Amino acid sequence: MSHSLRAKAWLLWLLIGPGILVMLGENDGPSMLSYAATGAKFGIGFFLPFVALTFAMALVVQEMTVRLGAATHRGHAELIFERFGPFWGWFSMIDLGIGNFLTLITEFIAVRAGLGFFGVPAWAAILIALGILYSALMSHRYWTWERVTLAAAAFNLIFIPVALMTHPHWGAVGHAFVTWKPLPHLTQDTVLIVLSNIGATVTPWMLFFQQSATVDKGLTTKDIRFGRIDTLLGALLAAAAALGTIVATAPLFAHQMNAASFEAAQFAQALEPVIGRWGAALFALGMVEAGVVASITISTSSAYAFGEVARKPHSLNLPVNQGKSFYAVLGLCAAAAAGIVLIPGLPLVFVVLVVNVVAVLAMPPALVFLYLLVNDKQIMGEVESPRMANFVAGAVVVVLTAAGVLYGLSVVAPQALAWLASR
Amino acid sequence: MGEEQHIAGPEEARWILSTLERDQLVKEKAAPVPRRQLGAGELFVLWALRVYVVFMMAVVFWQAWTATR
Repeated sequence: MSHSLRAKAWLLWLLIGPGILVMLGENDGPSMLSYAATGAKFGIGFFLPFVALTFAMALVVQEMTVRLGAATHRGHAELIFERFGPFWGWFSMIDLGIGNFLTLITEFIAVRAGLGFFGVPAWAAILIALGILYSALMSHRYWTWERVTLAAAAFNLIFIPVALMTHPHWGAVGHAFVTWKPLPHLTQDTVLIVLSNIGATVTPWMLFFQQSATVDKGLTTKDIRFGRIDTLLGALLAAAAALGTIVATAPLFAHQMNAASFEAAQFAQALEPVIGRWGAALFALGMVEAGVVASITISTSSAYAFGEVARKPHSLNLPVNQGKSFYAVLGLCAAAAAGIVLIPGLPLVFVVLVVNVVAVLAMPPALVFLYLLVNDKQIMGEVESPRMANFVAGAVVVVLTAAGVLYGLSVVAPQALAWLASR
Repeated sequence: MGEEQHIAGPEEARWILSTLERDQLVKEKAAPVPRRQLGAGELFVLWALRVYVVFMMAVVFWQAWTATR
């Protein structure tokens, strides 16, 4: 390897992080459960290329946050507050706060369910997850935190070997990508899965997290190219894990397993006759990893946003005594979400079902702010959005809103959906 | 002491600039971002989406509530 190539590879290694973390972080508990339910309910078909498309949408949107962070050196919440005023700033924060907290609860549900496969009691599973989360913060260095979390996030790829263990029908996989078929019937369940899969890849916390992490890492406009590579790598890795999960649970479709419960441990147990005890254990461990990594990134996203709007110090580089409110928000959010999961009789499935859908519904307003900011010549300078990126971002807003309306229609007027399906 | 220091070349200049990068970022951040007034069309879109979010959230919670009962 030549000296300059080695130097570039080293620079890339130093600069990657936020993009891979945000993409693998979004392959979280409810997302992986959503992909697992997709495979079990619909098998190999329309949803494979559809999920790949959602990652392409996420890539376009997340690249914008890299440019925003590098050009303005401000987090997303901070920038909305400063540029559009506290009124709209608080609206964004409320969306983010509710979404993040609900999602955090589901991460702990995933950890509890995944470790439950191995017979670990719920309280111990929650303590393990909190222990890992707090350990990642101990270094008080963004760099160390990022590398530890990246190492944990790499475990998300475990779903790929699990998929291979099911001996997938590669012809059917190729056919699905080329033709987008077989198409599912247009029912309320299908609409819920469509929304759930979109919410599994494109969510508001990702915008806030990647922009803040880009700032915390110290990326400048000179580094945007590496930020793009980082985001692309993250999207490819996360898409591979997501598609792997759909393929892994596709054999359950053949056996007509009822996937309505969305419980991780049940998926692992149901897969045991197909991929054996080891394969099922890997699947359950993958769910645990998804929950743990996302609980780290999502609670950090909340703490960044709180620090930005409350104008308190907010960085993973701060020692505890200088970043008390930052670490307090991070730690308390995680502890409260973890505590809720332990409440006896709480309808955990209720929360899991709702979370991804809520993320999709909250996304269009967040995207409009992102669109306004990346097209703001005054703050973006030379790195304002190109026309093509604007077109794609606009299309994403339309698709997300239309998906939300279709979902609303399926709930409020199911007969209208049946009429649409019959056309 | 008192000896004049020179930058040896572009490599060293780049190194010095990158060393001071943190301070430059802090300096840039100290300058406030000016407030921007939203246009009528932008306000319409934002309010329409706000109504959409509130209405749809109610639909989601109603559906999830009935599904789990």
